Amino acid sequence: MIELDPPLRALRDRCRDAAADLRSRALSVDADPADMADHLDSPTLAMVRAASTPKRFQDPSGWQGEYTDSCLSRAVASLELAGGDAGLLTANTGPALAGIAVDALGSETQQEFFYGSIADGRTWTFFAMTEDARGSDATAMETRLDPDPDGGYRLFGAKRYVGNGSRGATGVVFARTGRSPLSIRAAIVRCPTPGFAGHALEMTGLRGALISELSFDGVHVPREMLLGAHLPASRRGIWGASRTFNVMRIQIAAMALGVAFAARDYVCDQRPGWSGHELTTARLAAARALLYDAANEVDLSPDDRRTPSIAKLHLTDLAVQVTGWAANALGPGSLLLHPLLEKWCRDVRAFEFMDGTSNILRLHITHGIATRRPTS
Amino acid sequence: MRDMIDECEQTAYSAGLAAGLAVALAEAPGITPPGRVAAVPTAALPPGWAITPASTVGHRMAGQEGISFATTGGPIGPVDGQLTQFCAHLGAVRLGVTRRLLEWAVEYLSGRTVGGEPTISKQLVLGVLADVQTAVEAARRSLQVSGTVPAAVVDVHDRVTTLDWEAAKLLGASGYVAGTPTRSAYVAQLTANCWLPREGVS
Repeated sequence: MIELDPPLRALRDRCRDAAADLRSRALSVDADPADMADHLDSPTLAMVRAASTPKRFQDPSGWQGEYTDSCLSRAVASLELAGGDAGLLTANTGPALAGIAVDALGSETQQEFFYGSIADGRTWTFFAMTEDARGSDATAMETRLDPDPDGGYRLFGAKRYVGNGSRGATGVVFARTGRSPLSIRAAIVRCPTPGFAGHALEMTGLRGALISELSFDGVHVPREMLLGAHLPASRRGIWGASRTFNVMRIQIAAMALGVAFAARDYVCDQRPGWSGHELTTARLAAARALLYDAANEVDLSPDDRRTPSIAKLHLTDLAVQVTGWAANALGPGSLLLHPLLEKWCRDVRAFEFMDGTSNILRLHITHGIATRRPTS
Repeated sequence: MRDMIDECEQTAYSAGLAAGLAVALAEAPGITPPGRVAAVPTAALPPGWAITPASTVGHRMAGQEGISFATTGGPIGPVDGQLTQFCAHLGAVRLGVTRRLLEWAVEYLSGRTVGGEPTISKQLVLGVLADVQTAVEAARRSLQVSGTVPAAVVDVHDRVTTLDWEAAKLLGASGYVAGTPTRSAYVAQLTANCWLPREGVS
């Protein structure tokens, strides 16, 4: 079982302190996620932007340090910050999931371009993988990059359920250059640009993410914006991105657990001295140990899909259970009398479909069993 | 009791949550919630009740389902036989909503493929559908047989909340878009949250 070392404990404590700022803005962003004008200068959101940016791209006058140098540090920070509000975290400008993809697949030049394009602190990014008809079956995606006779590529297709897609100015879009699985590639796309359209979907929860649908009708993609050209063919596209998904799943699991802890803490605040939280508290403590162990495992074995899948499957389910428990613990009408709790009940359900539904995760967890050869 | 269970479920199944709730409330004149707020059909607000301002996203979602949250200004209602019976009827309403959600999920999954095969044919999916259908049947019998037992009625509601979530998960992200039957199921959960007494909590 992982014990946090002093730097990670310091990171945990700093993020825990910063979470209160997110909490104070939570209901406002939930009500109107498109209106972020009063929130982007939040000290916590500024810290998250800086800390999720690699050190070499950080503004030297701002935060010094990062929490993206390991999956474990991401998990520690995400858990604490989501305890403030997960919706605010997903509403923030900055590298977010697209940054994880660029870090994994981008050349040094591409990383410089990407981080330079968002250095103003006012630029949203997006990560566009899912398609409406294909869901989690990424290998069946239909969005395509056709060679452009004038150079580079033309992007055709549509993506759905893309966080901050309609307001993002820089994004990573996955598309195929041919029919084989190896032909699925990722490209940096800058917006607005001719042929690009995006609009936000009205979602039930985690509304800060401004989940959107995007369409591409011949969007020009310069050749140098295609990620992974410097990598072996097997690591350039969807297979190379699998490490990205492992990190994302840990981060989403951490956010789910952060909301669950918030709900537990809220109940304890409302019912001081009540011992009815003990079983929930014990489960949450065990879940945090599982999260830290899984994050550390991703750092040690970044290609292993099973461990992060177990973490996300359990923690997202637990978060739904705990918010439901909290609603019951605060009695009749609790979801109307405690708007944050009602919001958390909606928010935690979003983690289910982000970067792998439960059924997809179950397939990853049992892949080794399903493909095992019988012993004679 | 059994006829009302059937009527509440069928009304919600065919006409939606608000219609089902109206049938259940009509059978319980003068009932008051065990907490400070009640969920009622907007179109059939009981006399003397005042709708609370729609200040949250949850309120908005409820409004789109024809449900409002209201207060009487009077004392909190007693946890008695009438409340238990009403909550049993409300449980039946929720079963009707669950069946609508399940049908939506089947229709949605029937139109999709994974790896070239219909998603609906996948064992993981069929297993969930079977489990939810089985649990709906079991929950209905619980209401019919034990609808006067407070703990049994609360248990049915908690099971329905779980069933709705299991069914909603089959829809992936599409079930999270406002306006789908998952919204009805969520608002039904909010409705039950107002009316269900919880042991040791007031």
